[in-house]
Amino acid sequence: MIDNLLLGLETAVTPENLLFCLLGVVLGTIIGVLPGLGSATGVAILLPVTLTLDPISALIMLAGIYYGSQYGASTSSILISTPGDSSSVVLTLDGYQMARNGRAGAALAIAALSSFLAAILSLIGLIALAQPIARWALNFGPPENLAIIVLGLATIVSFAGENMLRGITMAAVGLLISMIGVASGFTTARFTFGSVNLLGGLEFVAVMIGIFAVGEVLHQIRRGGEHPIRARFRDLLVTREELGRSVAPALRGTGLGFVMGVLPGAGATLATFMSYGVEKQVSKFRHLIGKGAPEGVAGPEASNNAAANASFIPTLTLGIPGSGTTAVLLGAFIVFGLQPGPLLFEQQPDLVWGLLVSFFFGNLILLVLNLPLAPVFAQVLRIPYSYLYPMVLFIAVVGAFALGNNTFTIWVVFVAGLLGYFMKRFDFPAAPLVLGLVLGPLLERALVQTSALGGGSLLIIFERPLSAVLMVAALLALAAPFVSAVLRRYRRTNRSRIDT
Amino acid sequence: MTLRTSTRTRALAGALTGGALLLAACGNGGGDGGSDSGETGGGGGEGGGFQPSGTVTMIVPFAAGGGSDIAGRATASGFESVSDATISVTNIEGGSGAVGYSNFLGENGNPNTLLATETALIALPITQDVEFSYEDFTPIMMLGEDYTLIVAREDSPLQTCADLVEKAESERTVVAISGETGLDNVVFSLMEEETGVEFDRVPFESGAELLTALLGGEVDAISVNPGEVSGQIESGDVRPLCAAAEERYDYELLADVETAAEQGIDVSFAQFRGVLAPGGITEEERDYWIGVGQDFAESEEYTTYIEDNMLQPNTAFGDDFTAVLSENHEKLSSIIDGS
Repeated sequence: MIDNLLLGLETAVTPENLLFCLLGVVLGTIIGVLPGLGSATGVAILLPVTLTLDPISALIMLAGIYYGSQYGASTSSILISTPGDSSSVVLTLDGYQMARNGRAGAALAIAALSSFLAAILSLIGLIALAQPIARWALNFGPPENLAIIVLGLATIVSFAGENMLRGITMAAVGLLISMIGVASGFTTARFTFGSVNLLGGLEFVAVMIGIFAVGEVLHQIRRGGEHPIRARFRDLLVTREELGRSVAPALRGTGLGFVMGVLPGAGATLATFMSYGVEKQVSKFRHLIGKGAPEGVAGPEASNNAAANASFIPTLTLGIPGSGTTAVLLGAFIVFGLQPGPLLFEQQPDLVWGLLVSFFFGNLILLVLNLPLAPVFAQVLRIPYSYLYPMVLFIAVVGAFALGNNTFTIWVVFVAGLLGYFMKRFDFPAAPLVLGLVLGPLLERALVQTSALGGGSLLIIFERPLSAVLMVAALLALAAPFVSAVLRRYRRTNRSRIDT
Repeated sequence: MTLRTSTRTRALAGALTGGALLLAACGNGGGDGGSDSGETGGGGGEGGGFQPSGTVTMIVPFAAGGGSDIAGRATASGFESVSDATISVTNIEGGSGAVGYSNFLGENGNPNTLLATETALIALPITQDVEFSYEDFTPIMMLGEDYTLIVAREDSPLQTCADLVEKAESERTVVAISGETGLDNVVFSLMEEETGVEFDRVPFESGAELLTALLGGEVDAISVNPGEVSGQIESGDVRPLCAAAEERYDYELLADVETAAEQGIDVSFAQFRGVLAPGGITEEERDYWIGVGQDFAESEEYTTYIEDNMLQPNTAFGDDFTAVLSENHEKLSSIIDGS
């Protein structure tokens, strides 16, 4: 182990490789900030540029873009409610609320610090446990995935706040929208009305940019002439109390994100939603979550970064990508003539260990960059909204076009924006819709696969111990709020009976 | 029953070939007087008068980083090296490739656009309500063919494809496929047709997911492109049962893998990768690109691409490529309609 780390240090700490690491994380941060340009697209766009480099330098830079964009994506969510990537949607809830309360600098700093903490801890996990964990994760077949997705859907309850019915309705709308396009595993096109653009379904990120960014802009325009948020210099810095409250959620988020990142098919976005749900259940300040609480930033942001790092585990040990972005990175391995697979650690130890060691330096650079930048970025909110929103709209349109290189996506953004506006106006929560949209295709796929594996029967879920346990947990999580509501009402009526 | 199907497909193939010829004729007739003189000159060679102007666009109808993208970028840079053209790659994704092909249809008559093509060109018109078919475009070059390997997990009792078929005769045998139009579904369907057994299918989305399901012990066998499993074969995690190919691979790692036919199951099916130009271009323009393709096929860049991705270096140009496409169409539509 020590030998390997030394070998990695030797490879990663050359002036050239450190420079490419720096370049990667800076580019990644920029790509993350821009909505529509997620890490997968960013790595794919810059892959051809790196072809002239030494493979190790190129991979260090491309990986830097990946985790760098995880840091950047939270910035635009927090400041202008425009998620840079699907895994930072959750930050538009408490992160954006913190910004509206004048705590933008603090929210950005908490995001950066919890990202860093999660990255370092998950990296240690990655180095120490990669081999056994990767084999263990293979036990998660379609039935287990199905159970985890149902567990994820159960977290909707925590987003719904007071009005559970509205939350469940929006989740159902999200699931319905996700049905557009060719059905998974079949050739039947659904709800496409003959449009070629709809065959692949709606671009998830475009819907998200529309609902959050454009919807929020329309909402602010209607409220009219809001004064810029006055943030004094003192307000830009994170307080000791906020930091203290962030530690436990960040640690919980790291654990959750790490597990979800290793599992096939789950991914970072689900991890962030689940982390938010967990905080809403267990945090000491759970009544403040949704109104701008640091817990709602630290937990999801940590889980996002931990999941990104953990997705390297199946990628490097088994040659199976753990996320969309690592799939592109595997493509890069092949372009460089490297053969990804279980033998990578043996055949290319300097490359693998060099890459892993470079993660430490990359994350350190990101922290050093992002902490001082947090108050600077927060200054954006001093701009009067009437100047800010054309910029937000412009960024949204450019991001939408970048998604598919076609103008159809721009229309998707605007239609989703109208939807988002009316949802805000009539107080329908947006997060459950996004969760439904993300989980819809995964849920359907897992359902079809589980039923095919069981020869047409879903009972296979309860025949396998792992999936049975997970499914029971998921059903309990779904039922818990209803049961507790009934219990509360029962207690209240009892009490009133005693009073009379 | 079988007789009727085969007559129908043959008639279909005839109609298609006729259509392709007609299209070629149209393309020729659409040109000006200059193209006539080009035709009398023999039509081959390095393309006479036509030179692409400005930047040529290579459309990749799938996301960056995938197999189509790697092919598109390798071809674009290879074409640049052997000609004066400047080629930029654009990924136009969506609709499992349909959006990219539909955009390409709008480039009719524009010789400064190319498209990196593969099986979606044939599969989409059969399964979806799209406006294009392969006859709307001008086939330039087939880069190579990608056959599949049928593989099982290393601790599986199965040693050959014959074992797999034997198992399916007596008990439930589960295979993973990547969708109905996937190359793997085609291969398993052909095996069923050939041997009379039946496989239970679990649909997945990508080669990576198939591999996860196989390594996790969810399914008995999968059928994947060699480039997707070479690492796992070398490490011993995955055992090849047979290659659904016409002949054995030359690659050292796969040289010992028997073809399905050697094991008594006469099944082979290849996915093609190639380059299309839009329909309605002149003979001169078409010949120019074919010439560039022929030069590319001789280059070292071409060999590197083929070997890195473990393809079979079977090339075809112009009308020969059209013939491959029509044969592919025939096979695929009989399987998809028949299932």
